[in-house]
Amino acid sequence: MQYKSQAVAKPYFIAAIGLFVGQILFGLILGLQYVWGDFMFPEIPFNVARMVHTNLLIVWLLFGFMGAAYYLVPEESERELYAPWLAHAMFWIFLVAGALTILGYLMVPYAKLAEMTHNELLPTMGREFLEQPTITKLGIVVVALAFLFNVGMTVLKGRKTVVTLVLLLGLAGLAVLFLFSFYNPDNVVKDKYYWWWVVHLWVEGVWELILGSILAFVLIKTTGVDREVIEKWLYVIIAMTLITGIIGTGHHYYWIGTPEYWQWWGSIFSALEPIPFFMMTVFAFNMVNRRRRNHPNKAAVLWALGTAVMAFLGAGVWGFLHTLSPVNYYTHGTQITAAHGHMAFYGAYVMINLTMISYAMPMLRGRTAANSERSQVLEMWSFWLMTVSIVFITLFLTGAGILQVWLQRFSENPQGFMVVQEKIALFYWLREIAGVVFLIGLGTYVASFFVGAKEPEALPEGAAASA
Amino acid sequence: MSQTVVIAPAPGRYPPGDLAIWIFILAELLVFAVFFAAYAFARAGDVALFDEYQHTLDRRAALVNTLALITSSYFVVRATAAIREGSARDCARWLAGAIGLGALFLVVKSLEYAHHLEAGVHLGTNTFYMFYLSLTFFHFMHVLMGMVILGAVALKARRGGYSATEHTGVETGGVYWHMVDLVWLILFPLVYVMR
Amino acid sequence: MTPTPAPRAWIRPCTRIWLLLVLLSVVTFVVGELGATGLAPSLLVLGFAMLKGQLIGDFYMGLRWVSGLWRWAVVIWLLVPGGLITTAFVMAARGTA
Repeated sequence: MQYKSQAVAKPYFIAAIGLFVGQILFGLILGLQYVWGDFMFPEIPFNVARMVHTNLLIVWLLFGFMGAAYYLVPEESERELYAPWLAHAMFWIFLVAGALTILGYLMVPYAKLAEMTHNELLPTMGREFLEQPTITKLGIVVVALAFLFNVGMTVLKGRKTVVTLVLLLGLAGLAVLFLFSFYNPDNVVKDKYYWWWVVHLWVEGVWELILGSILAFVLIKTTGVDREVIEKWLYVIIAMTLITGIIGTGHHYYWIGTPEYWQWWGSIFSALEPIPFFMMTVFAFNMVNRRRRNHPNKAAVLWALGTAVMAFLGAGVWGFLHTLSPVNYYTHGTQITAAHGHMAFYGAYVMINLTMISYAMPMLRGRTAANSERSQVLEMWSFWLMTVSIVFITLFLTGAGILQVWLQRFSENPQGFMVVQEKIALFYWLREIAGVVFLIGLGTYVASFFVGAKEPEALPEGAAASA
Repeated sequence: MSQTVVIAPAPGRYPPGDLAIWIFILAELLVFAVFFAAYAFARAGDVALFDEYQHTLDRRAALVNTLALITSSYFVVRATAAIREGSARDCARWLAGAIGLGALFLVVKSLEYAHHLEAGVHLGTNTFYMFYLSLTFFHFMHVLMGMVILGAVALKARRGGYSATEHTGVETGGVYWHMVDLVWLILFPLVYVMR
Repeated sequence: MTPTPAPRAWIRPCTRIWLLLVLLSVVTFVVGELGATGLAPSLLVLGFAMLKGQLIGDFYMGLRWVSGLWRWAVVIWLLVPGGLITTAFVMAARGTA
């Protein structure tokens, strides 16, 4: 760690991991509710559990992004963070607001929560992923602005690199697009239309810029490849991301009452969204193969390569599966979507956060470059447990989805939704088992922070003999 | 040695310009290829409609634009040749000419759009116009982008930022511009002539 | 580098290519003006377009002097939309679409 103020990243990372655990626990509850409908009813009904599962995901990813920015921006800018105290203050505000919101979801009925938070003054609640009470949304805006100000000032006053500029562009986009969550028109078509400006343009637009810049940073640090080479790749990747991703929003505009040209625009541009992800895979492997040194933090390099591969599979390939409008006509809103959602979020955004945490946490905890050998081995075990189980979750959900599309929509005698759900229950059971393995993997991951903490640091490969 | 030296670099494994621009060019070409194929297959589904509305396009304007882009590409080749011979001033001049022809393209295309807009044509009018407007506008944006790139290269050339030995930037900007031209060369017959 | 440069050709090779490109474009335009419809004229102008693209790729983008896979990048690209467009036009002409 070169700058003292980078330390503010640590609480952000810890909170992210804590919320991640919560997200997975609720995921398991949800998975069980698919096959055991009244499990935990009435305490935690399905809709509430789902809301908590998805909201926790978003919040912890945001914690992770902020931590990543606070860690890498001082190092890239070659100066201390503009206002470390502000970062600390925002951490607590965000954490308390997030916790209160989740408690609100769990303790009172959603309608009551809306009433308590005076949703009627500026109605923004009730929409998928944007369920937060208006006051929480305002809090998010305040936190985001303070964060952007802090990071932005650091960048402006220090060295400007392509990594920080792309990161800043992504973070600014994240904040600006979130403002559309306050636009809540009565017209249902318009409502959905702009809702996607938050949801799609986040995950298939600006978040990809954040992903790209964090990945580039970790690769610069761990491979020692020339910054110039990595920056060039970053440019090409983000250009393709924006070309395909922005117009690719159209793949959500097929069946919601928007003009017909979206069928073409959405199909053509979103079909090409895998390109930037493919480039990212080639980029990551290329850089690691051309490395000038062996970094002692092998776990971080594994996460980085894993991100590149899994993002391509989850976001690229599984997205492509149902992105063309004639295909989406049948698959829309089925378990195919759930399959894609799980692997894409894990592969792209969970893994990039874990990459950054894996890279930065040893230094934040006082190591010079890496954790002990034993700790890293455990972390790599957790990598494989979580990654393999998410692959199986995805495959089971894809199986469920294909069967669902067939029985419910494609066959000559389409069957009812609940009838079909009964028939695909086996896939849901298998998915739940894979989910348990994921939780074990996550437990292993958390354990890796404590196991071998007192042992000496791992040495880079090839350095052991001389040590 | 004959004149070919001027346009021919030593044979190598990699094309002229920065390799990153080539990766980008391939990705862009793929986008256009998909778009072209979509046009052709959509047309096959409704030949009568496509043939009918193709008549409303201004083929003369398209020819002017084709010649503008071809000539501007030629100017860029001359600019590259000039810098290889060590003449930064000539290089900047040829580039300025290419940018001027790009601007001509934009003006002519805008007049075409104005004509269609006046006639009340929009994206939702029919599938033919949807493709015509989307394809040509997507290409239009690329011309604009190419002009920005050439502009940056021309400025740097004028300031003496390139030499006979180091001029990768000129080649990089140049191949991007040729790509913009290349795409139009397919677009022109496909949308304006073939039926 | 060569001490005695060879006398300049009366016309640069790239200028020759430019003239060829202009000629092919004008012919394409004329085919359109003649109102020629059907598969043959369509595929003819598509062929011209691919030839033009190949000239651009080879001589202007400089792929002619590159070895390996890159040398064929533009040619391969031309064959993809070229082939698909041909298929679609043949289907349309036969009414099999």
